[in-house]
Amino acid sequence: MKHINHVRITLYFSLLFFVAVAAFATSAYAADKENCLMCHKYRFLGRIDEHGKKRNYNVDENIFNNTVHRNVPCRDCHTQIANLPHDPITEEVNCGNECHIKPPFSTENFSHKKIIQIYNKSVHGIKADDPEDLKAAKPYCKYCHLNPIFTKVEEERVASSTLRRCLNCHEEKGVSQAYKHITHRLRHKTSRSRQEIVKLCSYNCHENTALMARFNVSQESLESVETYKRSIHGKAVALGSEETADCVSCHATSSIHDVYKKDEMMSTVNERNLKRTCEQCHRDVSDEFIKIDVHSGITHDEKPFLHFLEVMLGFVLYGTIFSLLGLAVLETIGRKKDGIKWQIREGTTWRGISKRGF
Amino acid sequence: MATSSETLVTTAGNAQADSDYMHYVEGVGHVPRDIYKHVLSDPLGDLPRYSIHIVIQHFLIFITFITLAATGLPLHFGDLFWAPIILAPLGGPDSARIIHRISAGIMIVAALYHFITIAIGTYSKLKKHKFNLLHSQIPTLKDLNDIKHDIRYFLGKEQYRPKMGKFMYKQKLHYLAIIWGTFVMIVAGSTLLFPEAMAKFWPNPEFAQDLARLMHADEAIMASAVVVFWHWSNVHLVPGRFPLQWTFLTGRITREHQIEEHFLEYIDKLKDDPKEKEYLISVLKEKGYKTEGGEV
Repeated sequence: MKHINHVRITLYFSLLFFVAVAAFATSAYAADKENCLMCHKYRFLGRIDEHGKKRNYNVDENIFNNTVHRNVPCRDCHTQIANLPHDPITEEVNCGNECHIKPPFSTENFSHKKIIQIYNKSVHGIKADDPEDLKAAKPYCKYCHLNPIFTKVEEERVASSTLRRCLNCHEEKGVSQAYKHITHRLRHKTSRSRQEIVKLCSYNCHENTALMARFNVSQESLESVETYKRSIHGKAVALGSEETADCVSCHATSSIHDVYKKDEMMSTVNERNLKRTCEQCHRDVSDEFIKIDVHSGITHDEKPFLHFLEVMLGFVLYGTIFSLLGLAVLETIGRKKDGIKWQIREGTTWRGISKRGF
Repeated sequence: MATSSETLVTTAGNAQADSDYMHYVEGVGHVPRDIYKHVLSDPLGDLPRYSIHIVIQHFLIFITFITLAATGLPLHFGDLFWAPIILAPLGGPDSARIIHRISAGIMIVAALYHFITIAIGTYSKLKKHKFNLLHSQIPTLKDLNDIKHDIRYFLGKEQYRPKMGKFMYKQKLHYLAIIWGTFVMIVAGSTLLFPEAMAKFWPNPEFAQDLARLMHADEAIMASAVVVFWHWSNVHLVPGRFPLQWTFLTGRITREHQIEEHFLEYIDKLKDDPKEKEYLISVLKEKGYKTEGGEV
């Protein structure tokens, strides 16, 4: 009887726990004024498309309500939808749309237009005279702002005692949401980790030398991922450093999207701007300092002397180790033959009989 | 004629071998080269070899070397699986490089301490006219002959090991390598640590930085490999040293080791060591060799 009572109490408490969790979990706010979730809340809402691919149109309310877009009504981005139930969607979302959200201290509707303008001018923006395959290969918004990352941002929250001071004037909801929006942007140039930035730039694009070679990039640019990963910046970042430079630390200003080719005046790595770029981390940057090769690759054609030295040092290393090891082995065999044992016992190691025939 | 000249050569050869084999010491008599096979040794060491300063310096270098290797090599080999495993308990790359710099500072202090010890020691020896090139770390032509002689001994073509001073050829080689290595590591390391200041110092900053990157890593791998594969086998694994040569802590060397590999040092120090003389005479008597004086 006693045993059964225990089980009952455990069951009762776990039920209470689940109810409590469920109650908190559903307390997120929704921006679904048009009731799109009436259909899209179903987890298996989907179809098999023309290419035979399974597509799922489910929107998880709990995830969406924690994303940066949680207050934006669905149709602000999905503008093609005019009536319900809607027709199949054929157009991609345009991130340059205005949405019906007015930022604080502003009378205009919010839009990503400004950053898109900056981006379009950069080397990654699609230009009118680009060949077709280059146009197709250039990254677009969602290429970097991909779902798994832009839905869940790890946010560093300030202490609740600090937040409480804001509550003297502001509503709690506004305060915590404003902080969610701002705090992660205050730490670095981006809210992404340095490892994510390197992965975004290299994976599928800059790392793919066959693809990059098709677009007439310089040899230096072709090897950039490899040389970065061999540099101290790259090695430290790969191991989890938060103090070392990633791609956008040097190749973009704080607007991040303004990446230009080295020879363009706007580029942060243009000779004119290099000093200012290095000064973000390095102190006492001089004209001599900026001559140091950041993406340094030691190849036969570029740096023949260093390449020669590298090869020779390899020979010296292996030569030294193997000859020294050879000597140690030879020494051991020779002395063993002369009657030495491994360990000192009873005051001597020379307990054996010499088999050297002298 | 042919036979007589052959006999002459052989006799001369034997005489040479014999005079090499027996080494005359005043007050003791003729000491055979392989007497080390018959003496008694304490594993912790019988005879003084290093002063307390050298023991402290070795200890400092030992600790900092391992720390530098543990914090530096994982950064260089960052793409290998073991790198994050080693760096994790050290707090990742950001704190590892601070540990690396502190260790480097301590190592430089130890190197300076050593330099001062050697400078003062050599100066006082020169002043007392006691400086002996044979017992110094300075390489001479004799070391080359010693290597040749020793390899012939290992191959069984020579009867006895060469007679060597306080530092044999292996130790001289290692010591000079350490001096060169420390110099390269300090210069290359400071070029990497202070790129801004060193850019103004070097005539060609781009080349200097590339060279420093290359040399710092190469020298580190070289030093680590030599220490792990060679130095450790010499003091831990080879017969007579297994499992541990205590000299680095006690500053003392076993008798059999000193006579075997530092014969000339042993003979030299014997002059001022009546107790050791007495001991040696007793060993010689026991083995049936003729001795001079010494009541045992």
